[in-house]
Amino acid sequence: MSSALIGRAMLGFYFLAFFGFLFGPLIVMSVTAFNTPEYPQVWPFEQFTFAWFQKLAQDDNLMQGLQNSFIIGAFVVALAVPMGLAGAIVMTQVYAPARGLYYLVVVSPVLTPGVIIGISTVIFWKDVTGFTGAQSLFTGMFLATLGQSTFIASYCMLIFLSRLQRYDRTQEEAALDLGASRGQVFLHILLPFLRPAVVSAAVIAFLSSFENYNTTTFAILADKTLTTVLAGRVRQGMTPAISAMAVLIIAVTVAGAILYEAAKARERRDAAV
Amino acid sequence: MSADIDIDHVTIRFGDFVAVKDVSLKIAGGEFFSILGPSGCGKTTILRTVSGFLAPTAGTVRIGGKDMAGVGPNKRPTALIFQNLALFPLMSVAENIGYGLRVRGVPGKERRRKADELLSLVALPGSGDKRIGELSGGQKQRVAIARALAVEPQVLLLDEPLSALDLRLRQHMRTELRAIQKRVGVTFIYITHDQGEALTMSDRVAVMNHGVVEQVGDGHAVYDSPATPFVASFVGENNGVSGRISAVADGFAQIDTALGSLKGRAGAGLEPGAAATLFVRPERLRPAAEGIAAMVSATAFEGHLTHVGLSCADGHSLTMSLGRDIGAHALTPGAEVRIGYNPAEAIVLRQEAR
Repeated sequence: MSSALIGRAMLGFYFLAFFGFLFGPLIVMSVTAFNTPEYPQVWPFEQFTFAWFQKLAQDDNLMQGLQNSFIIGAFVVALAVPMGLAGAIVMTQVYAPARGLYYLVVVSPVLTPGVIIGISTVIFWKDVTGFTGAQSLFTGMFLATLGQSTFIASYCMLIFLSRLQRYDRTQEEAALDLGASRGQVFLHILLPFLRPAVVSAAVIAFLSSFENYNTTTFAILADKTLTTVLAGRVRQGMTPAISAMAVLIIAVTVAGAILYEAAKARERRDAAV
Repeated sequence: MSADIDIDHVTIRFGDFVAVKDVSLKIAGGEFFSILGPSGCGKTTILRTVSGFLAPTAGTVRIGGKDMAGVGPNKRPTALIFQNLALFPLMSVAENIGYGLRVRGVPGKERRRKADELLSLVALPGSGDKRIGELSGGQKQRVAIARALAVEPQVLLLDEPLSALDLRLRQHMRTELRAIQKRVGVTFIYITHDQGEALTMSDRVAVMNHGVVEQVGDGHAVYDSPATPFVASFVGENNGVSGRISAVADGFAQIDTALGSLKGRAGAGLEPGAAATLFVRPERLRPAAEGIAAMVSATAFEGHLTHVGLSCADGHSLTMSLGRDIGAHALTPGAEVRIGYNPAEAIVLRQEAR
C-alpha cells in the first residue's frame, strides 16, 4: 500500500470517528424515540411507533417545564442583549489604561461556576426582596431569569466587542458633523452596523438560557424548567418520551440553523449586488 | 452663504506634545484656502478644531464672527469631508446625501429632491438608488461632497479627500472641486500634503511645519518667494546650496558656498556672516558660458522636460530641468558643463536655528 493511500485511509477513519462521536448519541436517541420498548432501546428494533410523542404531549410536568424554559429564554434575551451591548460600548469608551480591569470585571460572570451564580442569586434576592417587602418577586422564574442573565450578558458583550473592533469611528463623527445628536448616531449608524451581532447575541442568549442547568437548578426554587424536569426524570429512570422530546428539539434546532444560514446567504447576495 | 474664519492664536496640546503652536489665520468668506504641510505638521488638528471635534488648548476660533468655544460639531455651520470619506455603507447614495436633512426633520420627499439636485451638481445624475459599494473611488468622492453640501454649510472642510485616488482622477477632481467651489460660493479649507493640489486649486495657501505656519500667500508668492528654507524645499523641487553671507546690498545677497560665491535675492534678516542657503529651482538653471562647474551624472527624459543630474565640487549635486528647445540632448553623462542662472530667480534664505 502506498503512503498516499494510507494517508487517505487514516483521514477517512478520522472523519468517521469524528462525526460518529459528534452525532452517534443523537442518532441513538432518535432511534429509541420510535421504538416500542419501555426503556430506550435501539436494538432489537421491535416496532415503529409514535406512541412516545403522544405520551410526551400528555406529560404535564415536562410540558410545563418546556413552557417555562421558553418564557425564561425570552426574558433573558430581552435583558442580556441590551446589557451586553451597553457593556461593550462602555468598553470602547473607558479610559484606555482601565480597560483591562474593566474587561476582567465584566467577563468574570463567564468564569464563575454556574452553581455559585445560582446560589448567590438566591441568597442576594432573598435579602433584597425581604428588606424591600417585595416578597412576591421572590419566585423561581424571576430568579432564574436574573441569574442566567448575569453571565449570558457577558457572552453577549463578547459578541458585540468583536463586531465593534471593525467599527469605523469616523462614521460616527461624519454623522455628528452633519448635525446628528448622540442618540441619532446610535440609532442610525451604530445599531444598524451591529444588527448581525444583535441577532447572533439573541440566538446565543436564548440557547444558553434554554439549556442551562447549573445556575437554574438553584435559582428556580419551586418552579421548573425543561432541564430541571429532565434531570429529575433521568434519576427516576429514562423513558423513550424523553427521546421523543430530544428528537423535537433537534428538529427545531436544525430547522432554525437552516433558516439562519439561508437568511445570511440572502444578505450576502444583496450586499454583493 | 459663506462665512469667514478667524483662527486667533490657537495652540493645541496633546499631553506634552504641542501639535499646533500659536497659529493665527484669517480666511475670507468664499475663499478656497489650503493648508499644506508634511504629515504630522498639525494641519489635520487645525481642521478638527475648526469642525469642533477638538477644543483648542489656548486661543479662539471664530466662524462668521461668532466664537465657537463650547459649540459642538453638530451645531457648527461647517461640514467636514473625511480623508476616508466616511460614507455610510448601509445607506443608499440618496440616503447618504439626505442624512443631514433627515436629522433636521426634513421629510423624505424633500430629501430625495435635494439629493437628486446635488447629484446633478456633482455630475452623478440618477445614482440615488445605488449602494455605496457599487461606486468607484471618484464617484464616492462626489457623493461625499454632495452629502456635505446638502446641509448648506457656510464652510466646507476637506481633509486630503483626493489622496486615495489615482493620479489622473486626482487631477480631474482638482478642476472639478474648484468648479464646484466657484458654483456654490462656500468657503473651502483644504488640507493636503500635495503641493500640486494646493497650488492649482487655492486662492491662498498656508504652509505648515512642526505645528507652525511658516508662510501664507497665493501660489506664486509661496512658490517664487518662499519665506523660509522649509517652504523653499517643501513646495516644488528646489536646489539648495548652503554657505555664509558675504555681502547684502540692493535686495540681493552674496553667499560664499562650496560652489563659489553665488548671488540671489535676499530674504529677510540677512547680515554678513550669517548661515544661509541659496535656493534656485531646477527649471531656472541653464547651461552657460561661465558659471558653476559641473559634470553631467544622469539625464531623465520626461517628455516636455529633461531632468539633468549634475555633480559639482565638494560632492554637491544639483538638478537642472530643461525644455525641449534648449538642446538637452547634447548633455550626455560624463560631459563637463558650466551652469548659470538669473540671480533675480534665486533666493537666499537665513538658516533658522531650531
